[in-house]
This record gives sequence, structure tokens and C-alpha cells, in this order.
Amino acid sequence: MPIIELSMTGRPKSGRVVGIDLGTTNSLVAYMGEGGPEVIRDEAGGALVPSVVYYDGGQGRLLVGEEARERLVTEPRKAIYSVKRFMGMGSADVEEDLGLVPFRIAPGSEQVIKFQMGDRVFTPPEISAFILRELKERASKFFGEEVTRAVITVPAYFNDAQRQATRDAGHLAGLEVLRIVNEPTAASLAYGIDRRQEALVAVYDLGGGTFDISILKLKDGIFEVLATNGDTHLGGDDIDNSLITLALDELESRTGRRLDHDPSAFQSLRRAAIRAKHELSDSDSAVISLDLGRENGGEYRREISRDEFERLISGLVEKTLGPCRQALRDAGLDAGQIDEVVMVGGSTRVPYVRQKVREVFGREPHVELNPDEVVALGAAVQADILSGGSRDLLLLDVTPLSLGIETMGGVVSKIISRNSTIPASASEMFTTWVDNQTGIDIHVVQGERELVADCRSLAKFTLKGIPPQPAGLPRIEVRYLIDANGILTVTARDVRTNQEQSIEVKPSYGLSDEQIEKMLLDSLEFAEEDIRKRQLIDARNEAETVVRATEKALSGQADRLVGEDERAAIRGALDELRQAVAGEDHLLIREKIKRVDETSRHLAELIMDNAVLAALKDRNASEVAEGK
Amino acid sequence: MKEVAEINGTAACPYCGAGAGGGHFCSGCERIQPVARGVDYFAFLGLPRKLMVDGPELEKTFYSLSRRFHPDYFMNASDRERRASMERSSLLNDAYRTLRDPVRRAEYLLALEGYKEAEKKAPPDLLEEVFELNMQVEELKAAKKMADEDGIEEARGALEEALSGLNEKMGGLDARLSGLFDAWDEAVDTGAGGDERKKVLDRMSELLSHRSYVRALVRDIKEEI
Repeated sequence: MPIIELSMTGRPKSGRVVGIDLGTTNSLVAYMGEGGPEVIRDEAGGALVPSVVYYDGGQGRLLVGEEARERLVTEPRKAIYSVKRFMGMGSADVEEDLGLVPFRIAPGSEQVIKFQMGDRVFTPPEISAFILRELKERASKFFGEEVTRAVITVPAYFNDAQRQATRDAGHLAGLEVLRIVNEPTAASLAYGIDRRQEALVAVYDLGGGTFDISILKLKDGIFEVLATNGDTHLGGDDIDNSLITLALDELESRTGRRLDHDPSAFQSLRRAAIRAKHELSDSDSAVISLDLGRENGGEYRREISRDEFERLISGLVEKTLGPCRQALRDAGLDAGQIDEVVMVGGSTRVPYVRQKVREVFGREPHVELNPDEVVALGAAVQADILSGGSRDLLLLDVTPLSLGIETMGGVVSKIISRNSTIPASASEMFTTWVDNQTGIDIHVVQGERELVADCRSLAKFTLKGIPPQPAGLPRIEVRYLIDANGILTVTARDVRTNQEQSIEVKPSYGLSDEQIEKMLLDSLEFAEEDIRKRQLIDARNEAETVVRATEKALSGQADRLVGEDERAAIRGALDELRQAVAGEDHLLIREKIKRVDETSRHLAELIMDNAVLAALKDRNASEVAEGK
Repeated sequence: MKEVAEINGTAACPYCGAGAGGGHFCSGCERIQPVARGVDYFAFLGLPRKLMVDGPELEKTFYSLSRRFHPDYFMNASDRERRASMERSSLLNDAYRTLRDPVRRAEYLLALEGYKEAEKKAPPDLLEEVFELNMQVEELKAAKKMADEDGIEEARGALEEALSGLNEKMGGLDARLSGLFDAWDEAVDTGAGGDERKKVLDRMSELLSHRSYVRALVRDIKEEI
């Protein structure tokens, strides 16, 4: 008899809006305080929640953050990290990434990746939802009331499917996502560079897994994004991987074996590589040092100088400079016209990254604010604007990728070009090709290339219910709107009748509304309380019902229906159940409930038979009375 | 800011029922109005249908209307107002993006005046040159295939020279376009008849098709180099 408490119902709609930075490596939550945006910290003063989720199917145990991260080495198969790289992706998109992580992928991952964790399967939005729930709880505890509304940041270069996946994650975590904000833009809000002055600002954001460059014009409190570019698969993870690969190659030549297949040893190596990377930001050299155990070649020690490190990562850093130049070109600017350069994301701590950015823009970049916290702070500023707090500032962001539709021969016809200020819209007129055609298929894609095959498929739409008419006569206007979240919606209208046209949407990647609803129900198991506590409560509740019903049966006609032996057995089983209820083991309670059921089944059947006989007798009596 | 009556027609305000006054907001209850169909960008921004546009002034209008329409400021409003804010913001952004760029602005005007999108067409005085250029591009391609360093260098040099010539040509086309902008604006100001206006627009349409041809050519050559 499960008791479901829906925390979603009856919550107050008004209230606080928090800003959340859902990062590849770490996540954090901030709010607008009296004196400006502030990060919400835990008791120990920590702001960052590692974006790691641990799930042990056997025990139904779920851990998020630092506790989950600690288990990466000891139980690597039960923890997921860097899930952001998999948001809005199908398995074919991330083959390379999957080669570098120890995750098991369940079948049917073509459109949405499914991670196999013990007996359960989780999609990236679900894993992200666990992280968001942790942040939500942290904020709720801080304010002493449930926080239900948030602004969540995403990389500016995220496509439609990645943004939708992020919004789905918020929904699954019980959050109303008021806005999806681009990370570099949020950072510019936090920096709040002298707002009265007109300035051209470049935000260089190199995080754990993603890279963005945004060029903004600041004027009269308006933050207008002129151009944005980036790479959603380039970040600190790749820097780690270049160190890890170096070590893996050396270990292989020493032992003749590749370490990848031992996930625990791999995680130890990963941890050591990250430590060395951090050290290299302050020192001229560092040592990757770890004990891999005798079967993996024992102790491994590798000194690495900053020079060697920089040679190792120069290709990665170079990959960020092309998008910088492209963004400048799109904004119609030369590097020399940029007034300020702002550095965001943990990977901008690497001195070589700073040096390269300095070279490209010809000026010293700003590094005053903590690059890990600045995005969340900016999200809090935007949250404040949305909750009606401030009208001084206004963010005008752009869509990072062009939107197009498939035309004859698999060629893309662009309808909204990249770097258009959002909300942005476009309309296209469609008609039929053959007589009495009642449907039209439309394929929407995102990207800069000429051919559909080279762009990202967003969705396929079918315009349905077109009245049968000669070919070319129907006129259906389809309107594409990219909202302030950078997410597409499509509406269609029959021009002649002015009727809204029904559209059937098949998203190419991501989850359908039905799947989300299903996950919402599934996730109730994990809601608020610890899962084992819930199971215990459920078991005790059910035990109570069983005890009560059985006692009633025993006190009634039992003497007449069954012998003393049978009654004694039932009483014995009941006592055992009562003892189990006093304990904490829900499985034991379940077992004892089953035992009571078994021993009392015979009695229950007899009581049932008697009841049926009595009912028949009653009916016969009443039928007689009615004269039938 | 001037608000033009055609923006919403003479429809009644959907909130208070009174005549809305045809502006972005109801003149009575001051709530944001839904967008009427078929609104043109010039009218929406309160501009006459002319081609010389004051850039900084247009930006000022864009910023100030953004501050009034943006969905950020309608989070707690009714669904209807939120939709109106979204529609008005997107129309504002679309209009600003189109009108701030001279070429897009001219193309948009032509479309409003019933012209079909002009096909790319080579300017007549460029035909011979185009033939020559295509040969040079082919030569460069061939040299690349053979990995003939000297051949690549030679073909590249010739193309770069041609490129600077084309850029000059582009400058000439832009100057003529600007002249046509003035001619159009004058025709509007003096209330010139349809024939005279059509003459200007015909020339503009032709010029734009030449321009997009040269632009595509420049892009292709740059890519090959």
C-alpha cells in the first residue's frame, strides 16, 4: 500500500527564483542578495557540488556530489560523471566520448543515451535532475522554504536538443525553469562591467566540457550579444584526457597491456592526472603519481614540465581560437576594437590558455572573479530580473546556430541565420504536390552546412488534416519561433481558412513528453526522502493493514472455521511480523507479511466463501420480498 | 517614439474592450497588444518606407522598444500578454536585423513592393572577366591536385590580383546603390508617381542581382585561395 506524496501540488507559485550553473564538472546555485548576487554554500563553506551521481541498484542507494565523486575510484561502474557531454545526444554522436568513460550503455540509445546502472537505466536528463535536486534542496534549506523556480545556464553553443534536455532535467527535478540562459552571457551580467559606459566585451568561457566565445555590446544597461561561437565538446576533460593518454601509452609500452579495461585503475589515473593539471597552473612541473597495484605494473611516477604540458594541450587550445576569430568576423569587428576580455570556466586557470587569449585579443583578460562561480552569479542576476526585481538590465541574446528546412535534393534552405537576436521568427509557405494530398512532411535542421546530412536534425513535422484539393491550391503558412531560451516552437496555419493546422512532431533527439511524464512517476521513488526510509515506511504501513485484517479474521468466525493448530500458526506468524515491524529492515517485514498471508490464506478463503453464501442468501431474501 | 496606426489596425483591445489606438500598447489600459497579421517592418518601427536610415537612431529605437516588449518583463503576466510580448519582441528583432543592413533593407523593400527575389546575374561588363576568372580557378585547382608549388603560387597571385579588382567593382556597385537609395527617398518625399518609382526599383533590383553575383564570386575565389 504505497503512500505517494506529490510535492508538486499546491506549492506557492510566487517566491524565490535561484540561478543554477549546471556544469560538466561542478554545479552550483546562487541567489540575489541585498548587496548583489551570492553563491549558496554548504555548512563547510563549499559552493561546488561535483556533477557526479552514484547509484547502487542492490541497495537502492543514490548519492550526489562529493560523496558520489569519492566512489568513482572504488565503484566506477556505479557512478556517472561529465553527463553534460551526453545531453541531447544519441549514441552515434558521442562514440569518442564513450570510449573514454567506464559507463555501460543500454540498448536503444540511438536517440537518447541510456546509462545502465545496476538494474536501472538512466538518461542524461535524469542524471542531471539528481544534481539539480541536490541544488534545489540546498537552496530550500538555506531559505527555509521550498524553492521551485530557477534559471539554468547552458553553453551558448548548445543546440536545440541540448537545451531541451536541460529544461527536461529541471522539470524532472521538480523545478519550473523560467529561463535557459547562455553561460558567457550570464557571466557578463555578473561582471557587470561599468554599466554606464558603452563597451565591446568578449567572454571566453572554457569549462569542464564545453567552450564558448561571445561578443557583446554593453550600452545603457542593455547587454546585446552580437555573435557567439564555440564547441560543445571541448574543455577541461579533454586536457585531462591528453595527460591520461600520455600515461596510458607509457604504461602500455611497459606492461604490454592497456589500462582502459580496469575502470578502477583508470579512475585513479584520472584523478592523478587532474591533480597534476591543477599543480601545473602554479608550478613549473608536477608529478603524476599513483600506485596501480601489482597486476597493472605497480607504482607509476611521471614528472611533467609545464613546457611539455603546453605542447601536449596546444592543439586543444588552438581549437578555441578559430571560433574566437569567427565570432569577431560575425560581429563585424576586429580584435583591436574589443574593450574588455572576460575569462570564465575552470580551464581558464591554465596559464597557457590565458596567454593565447591575450595574444588573440591583444589585451590582458579579466580574471578577478572566481571563474567557477561567475556563471551562477550571473544566473542569479537574470533570475532577479525575471522575478521582477530589476529592470535596469536587459539581456538580448542570440541563437548560436542557423535554422533551416530540408528542400529538394537534401539541400538546406536557411530560414533563421545564426547570431539572430532571440526571440526570432520566420515564416514559410507550403503547398501540396499531388491532388488531394492531406499531409506535408517538413524536416527542420540546425547548422551552417549546405546539406541536410551535414546539419543536426531537430525534428520532423507532419502537417495533417489538409482538406483534399487540387495540387498547389492549399496554402499552409508555417511559423518558426525561437524563444528567449533558444528553443524552437512551430505553428502552422491554413492561410485560406485562417485555421490553426495540427502538427505532429517527432523530435530527432531527446525525450517525448510522454517519456518525461513516465520518468516523473519513476522518480517519485527517489523524491525527497531517502529511498530506504520510504521503503521501510511503505512496508510498515502494509504490515499494519495486514495485522489489523488478520486479527479481525481471528476474532470473528475463526473458531468455527479452522482448528486450533491453524489458528496458533497464524498467531505465530503475526507475532513474527510485529517483531519485524519494530526493526528497520523493510525486506524482513515484506517476508513476514508474505508468511502471514500464506498461513492465513486458508482461513481467508473460508471467510470469503461464507460471505458469498451470506450475500446470496440476502439477495434471495430481498428478491422474494420484491416478488420476483 | 511615433507609433503608427497601421500596427494593429483599428481593433479593439482584447483586455479592456476599448479602442486600442493602434499602438504597441492599449491607449486605455496600457497592456501589450497582439500583433496584427501582415505588419511591415517600417511601420512597426514607426519609420517611413524610405531607404536612408539613421543607424544610431534605429539602434536607439530598438533598445527602447526591447525594454518595453521583452518577455523578461512579462513572466507573471497572463498567457495572452506573454504571447503578445513574445510576438512583439520577435517581430522587433526581425525588423531590426533586416532594416539595419542596407542590402537587406533594399531587398525587403523590393519584396514589399511586389518584386520577386532577384536571381544572381553577372554584370554585363564583367562577363569576359568571369570567363577568365573561372579559368584561373580551374588552373589553381589543377595545380593543387598536382602539388605543383610554382603553379599554385602563380595561379594564386593572379586570383589575388583579380580579387582586388572585384572588390573595387563591389565598391562601385555600393556607391550606385546608395545613389538609388537617394533617388527612391526623393520619389517618396515628392510624391512621385508609380512609373517613376518603378523605374528606380527596377534598377535597384538589377543592381542587387549583380551585387550578389559578385559577392558569391568573391567568396568562391577566397575559399579556393
